[in-house]
Amino acid sequence: MSDWHASYRERYKKLKEAGKPFFPHTVFKDALVAALLLAVLSWLAWHHGAALEDLADPTDTTYNPRPEWYFLFLFQALKFFPGHLEAVAAILLPGLGMGFLALLPFFDRGPERHPFDRPWLTLTGIGALAGFAGLTWAGYNSPLTNPIVEKDPVALEGQRIYRDLNCSYCHVLGGRGGKVGPNLDLALGTRDELWLTKHFRDPQSVTPGSTMPKLNLLDDEIHSLVAYLATLGGGPFTSEAPKLFAENCASCHMVKGKGGDMGPDLSLIGSAREKSFLRLYVSDPSKINPSSSMPGFAGQLTDAQIEDLSRYLASLR
Amino acid sequence: MISAALAWTFERTGVDKIWEALFARHIPEAKGPVAWLYALGSATLFVFTVQAVTGTLLAMNYVPSPDHAYDSVRFIGSEVYFGRFIRGLHHWGASFMVVLVALHMMRVYFMASYKYPREATWLAGVGLFLLVIGFSFTGYLLPWDQKAYWATMVGANIAGQTPFVGSYVSKILIGGAEMGAATLSRFYALHVLVLPALTGGALVLHLFLVVWHGISEPPKRVEKGS
Repeated sequence: MSDWHASYRERYKKLKEAGKPFFPHTVFKDALVAALLLAVLSWLAWHHGAALEDLADPTDTTYNPRPEWYFLFLFQALKFFPGHLEAVAAILLPGLGMGFLALLPFFDRGPERHPFDRPWLTLTGIGALAGFAGLTWAGYNSPLTNPIVEKDPVALEGQRIYRDLNCSYCHVLGGRGGKVGPNLDLALGTRDELWLTKHFRDPQSVTPGSTMPKLNLLDDEIHSLVAYLATLGGGPFTSEAPKLFAENCASCHMVKGKGGDMGPDLSLIGSAREKSFLRLYVSDPSKINPSSSMPGFAGQLTDAQIEDLSRYLASLR
Repeated sequence: MISAALAWTFERTGVDKIWEALFARHIPEAKGPVAWLYALGSATLFVFTVQAVTGTLLAMNYVPSPDHAYDSVRFIGSEVYFGRFIRGLHHWGASFMVVLVALHMMRVYFMASYKYPREATWLAGVGLFLLVIGFSFTGYLLPWDQKAYWATMVGANIAGQTPFVGSYVSKILIGGAEMGAATLSRFYALHVLVLPALTGGALVLHLFLVVWHGISEPPKRVEKGS
């Protein structure tokens, strides 16, 4: 195996003696390259500088970070591995790559050095470079969504559509945006998903005289937008919620003139109480008001139903 | 008189021996454009020096706390003499480091210069590559702007995906359950103290081995029948 070591040492010794001294020959070349690099660096630093965005805002979860370009390929690779498999792309692939590089001199031990004499390793290297370039290119051209910050791809797509359509020119969301249309931070909780779906298909169908343009969205896109809006704040309730109210609450509570009068009228409850309070109250009133005669619904309704119901109640104002 | 002074200096410090070992040593001849590929290592070393100098200058005005980091970076960009230029150099130098290290590594990979007797040189080089990645990751957070914060959040989340030990890794990395003041001072300490120290050690080892074994000669095709 190592019989070529001694002959290599001998051959190298001759080659070295026949070569030129490090100074000035190599030093000259190195200095030339360094000067060129310094010139390019200075030009970039002078004309482009370094960007500084807004101050970090840990509460702004809508920000999609752009990784440094040389990490873009990894970012893009993560998109091919949904769910728990992300761990494969995130840890295993770079780990294997680094392991391969670290162990390289221990499994490639023959005397062959020319790329054509090591076809497999040469092809592996070219393949890795092509993969890196391809993924970087794809990552550069695809919308900057981050598969790890946000787990739900449908909601994420909705977020992208929201941004692409420039909804924020007219609507406030998360405290930012224009004032032409309703403030979505306030209005969102008052609408159910069915309403939103109709609204996105044709705004005039649910709001006659609305100045919002008809967006000609595909059903998938509408679904994504609704899913995105559902992740925000109190979020919209489903069309089940009013039915739940009619079945479980209307015998004692009145809403807009319909229902019993055993308990308080809830027509405007949303302006007095917020969703989290209502959810707690519906689950177990005795925790908040020990003298209440209202039964708790914690065992009778599922958590999802109570959440839905609370969203509906919070929208009554 | 002068020759006596020189002889005294040589005898006391050994600079003549160092000169002989470092600068008068012979290099196997590389012909044509291939010869320029051999400059990639020294080019990386040069840009690293630029990073060390500009980084030191930046550290003189930078404050590693969430309350002041962003403002101190703005101060560097607007008030400090040549501050914008120095920060620009450091910023672009970081990209150059990654590119040059990668190109240098590709040169060694495709020429198989990692083979006997230079395996240890290659290993030190792989270590240096990881350190450059470490510099890049920790340095990205320091301006404490939106991009810095959220990109580091993603990085910490990726580290958190490691099977079994993920949650511990991300906790150690960001100094707690949430990103904040602890994360910033931790990354700063890593960026300006730990990584430079490790890099210094690995660099001395790498360069010593390069000189010790001599730079590899350009590869030749294996002759048939030999």
